[in-house]
Amino acid sequence: MPDPLRVVIAEDHYLVREGTRRLLEDTGEADVLAAVGTAGELLDAVGRLRPDVVIADIRMPPGHHTEGIAAAHAIRAGHPGTGVVVLSQHANENYAFDLFRRGTDGLAYLLKERIGEVDELLRALREVAAGRSVVDPRIVEVLMGSHARAADAPLSRLTRRELDVLRHMAEGKTNRAIAESLRLSESTIEKHVNSTFAKLGLAEIPQLHRRVSAVLAYLRHAPAGPD
Amino acid sequence: MSLMAAARNRGMHIVAVCGGVCMLWATLIGTTQLQNRYTLPWILGSVLPCYFAGLFTWWHAPTSPVAKRLLLIGTWLSVTIAIRYSTTLLIRAFDWNLRPTPHALQLPAEYGLQVLSQSCDLVVSILVVRLLALLPDGRYAFPYERRVLGALWGLLALPALLPLTGMTQLTVHYVVFYYPEAWLPGLGAVLLVLRCLRAPAAGRRDIAALLPFAVPGALLLLARAASRLFRTWQGEQGVLYFVGAVLGALPYVVISLAIVYAAFRHRLLGVDLAIRRSAVYGSLWLIINSWYLGMALTLGLTAGQYLPVGLSLLVAVVATALFQPLRARLNALAERRVFGKRLSRFELLVQFGTTLEHAYDLGRLAPRLATGLHEGLNLRWVRVRLGGDGLPVSLGEAGTRPAGPPGAPLGEFPLLYGEDVLGIIEYGPKAEGRCTPEDHDIGETLARSAALAVHNVRLTAELCARVEEVQRQAAELDASRARIVHAQDTERRRIERRLHDGIQQELVALVAKLALARSCLRRGGDIDAALTEMRDDAYRVIDELRELAHGIHPPILTDQGLVAAVTSCARRMPIPVTVHSEDSMGGVRFALDVEESAFYLVSEALTNVLKHAAATHVTIRMARGGGRLLVEVRDDGAGFPTETTRGSGLTGMRDRIEAVGGELAIISGPGTGTVIRARLLERVREETRA
Repeated sequence: MPDPLRVVIAEDHYLVREGTRRLLEDTGEADVLAAVGTAGELLDAVGRLRPDVVIADIRMPPGHHTEGIAAAHAIRAGHPGTGVVVLSQHANENYAFDLFRRGTDGLAYLLKERIGEVDELLRALREVAAGRSVVDPRIVEVLMGSHARAADAPLSRLTRRELDVLRHMAEGKTNRAIAESLRLSESTIEKHVNSTFAKLGLAEIPQLHRRVSAVLAYLRHAPAGPD
Repeated sequence: MSLMAAARNRGMHIVAVCGGVCMLWATLIGTTQLQNRYTLPWILGSVLPCYFAGLFTWWHAPTSPVAKRLLLIGTWLSVTIAIRYSTTLLIRAFDWNLRPTPHALQLPAEYGLQVLSQSCDLVVSILVVRLLALLPDGRYAFPYERRVLGALWGLLALPALLPLTGMTQLTVHYVVFYYPEAWLPGLGAVLLVLRCLRAPAAGRRDIAALLPFAVPGALLLLARAASRLFRTWQGEQGVLYFVGAVLGALPYVVISLAIVYAAFRHRLLGVDLAIRRSAVYGSLWLIINSWYLGMALTLGLTAGQYLPVGLSLLVAVVATALFQPLRARLNALAERRVFGKRLSRFELLVQFGTTLEHAYDLGRLAPRLATGLHEGLNLRWVRVRLGGDGLPVSLGEAGTRPAGPPGAPLGEFPLLYGEDVLGIIEYGPKAEGRCTPEDHDIGETLARSAALAVHNVRLTAELCARVEEVQRQAAELDASRARIVHAQDTERRRIERRLHDGIQQELVALVAKLALARSCLRRGGDIDAALTEMRDDAYRVIDELRELAHGIHPPILTDQGLVAAVTSCARRMPIPVTVHSEDSMGGVRFALDVEESAFYLVSEALTNVLKHAAATHVTIRMARGGGRLLVEVRDDGAGFPTETTRGSGLTGMRDRIEAVGGELAIISGPGTGTVIRARLLERVREETRA
């Protein structure tokens, strides 16, 4: 059993905040250092407590817009060791793009209702704490289902199977987990992953970051950008 | 033919000379030998006008039958009076009695002279009938005319035959034969009316134009004959005589004036007359004044019979003064008829001022100005062009411009208002005489005033257009406001239904499931599956809520702006949608209402595409330019006829766009796809986050 994750929760809704705290603490895999209600308090707590990971609501006082994203950027800039999971009620990919606009490392974009699936939440917390990235399957679904993509986007060069693999990768899954989901052998998955990297021009990048960059490329190019 | 024509022409010369000689002879013996006071009045009042008018028209239109007849009447009147005076001289010398008496026997010489005198009168009357009946061209148009008029000459036999039949009853004798002018001119008038009625439509107008002269002429002759009859009965004395003299002269004057005027003005003699206006006016003047002099003399003479010399002189002077306005009016009428309205400069400007005051219709103003100037200054031609510079051009022309290459006009004044040229006034030389500097001043003044008037018309037109536009906008605004309110109400009801019938029901169901799970737990059952189910239910409720909230107002629009919201919307479309947004759009946040309207337009357009267009591809373009935000949604679908399609969706779109001061264009046609294009006033938001 690894050390429990040191977590700070930022959520302005009391019931959600305390519920999330209880859920996490009940698993015994997370240690909630603080639960605050505003972005300011969050930054303050992160500065003091240096948590492994932060769970931040996307909307917080005073503006109730995207204070969570701003706070995530501030935390990633100030404390690269702290990962941030942004919980959002918006099933809109543009918020994810906003979050990932400076890089995907140590950042996750999850829909708020994922707190109902503690295991998923914990997995995401561990991914971002390790400096990796997670995107909510719902967002990925939207992007995959979208017809609105530019013809020259790098993703158009991927096969359907490669896109499937990439989608699972974007969800933060390992090759083994992807293989299980798609009912394929791990080596086949590895082959698809490598060809995907090649097609996206990521072959020279060190192994660890390739996956993240692939996800980044996926996220960047999935929308139909201005021609 | 030409010989015959020459012979006839010579004949007319003889007639003319004969008429002049007879008139002189009658005047001479009438005034000197007979000392007949009424010689001069009669000659001046009727014979001279008639003779002169005949001479004048015949001189200018030698081949016209009407002219010849008129001259013949004039001459015959002279001949008649000459014969009458000559016979009077003879009667005096031989002491004959020419008056028909019932029982007295007549000497052959007396009888002959009586027949001659009566025949002369008859001839005059017949000539008048022939003149009247054959107006305006003097030629036979219908066979019956020839028969009736020819038969008239047969009347000449009556004066000779009637006394032989023993018909001596005075009344019949007088009315029917002795004074045939009592009924013969009436016959002429009737024939003319008949002719007018039977004439083809084209010619009828010419004849009808003469009826107002011919009929009163005939009636006057009738009245004169009646008065003469009365006079014979009462004796040739006093007021009655005066009235008789006036009546006797008037018909000849009226007919003379009418024919001279008609010959000139309407060219009724069938000859293209080229008479100077001044000559025509001169003739009319002469006829009027001759008659006037004759009447004044008659009055003086009549008064002299009753009053002492001094008093009768006074009466004559007063009467002359009283008649003077009548004469002046007649002269002015003749002048106006011949020369048109000739106004003083002051009158001209006042008249133009009044015309311009009511100038709101340039199409009517231009001809009025042209005619006014043409008649007022007696110009050969005038051309007025009004308008231009944003106004429709209207032309007005009066007079005829000489054919051939148009030379430079004599006067040319552009209508200037500031720098704007609002028309031009051009005119040629005067019909008679030369243009004075004062005439040009009038042209220039008129041009200046007309420029102001045209400018006023322009202002009025602009104002009207603007007022109409404002009224239209106001009406449209009211309607659109009502539609927006209605749309809002509908939307609120829709949300309320979704909250109550959808989300609330699901939550109630969730509560029920919770209760079930609890009772199951109490019974010691396993509720893990139930909990998973409830979680999924909750997810569904959350999804629905999210969708509903998005429908009310997409948060992405507030948080990230138009391009992000449109792109996101496009991604959720089940058909390919390409979004082009200009680089200048990046990072710009427009005013909230502008962004909302633009987004609403796109999402409504996309909804329409899905619902109706059956399109395979949609392109959305967003750009900025000229202070406008441009949004275009183009599909390759079925399209629709824009003229007949009035969907509430399209109206709603227009309302939304126009509510923020934008314009919407819908370009579509069956089979050509649809383009929805909006131009919105680009108002950039002050603060980035509202």
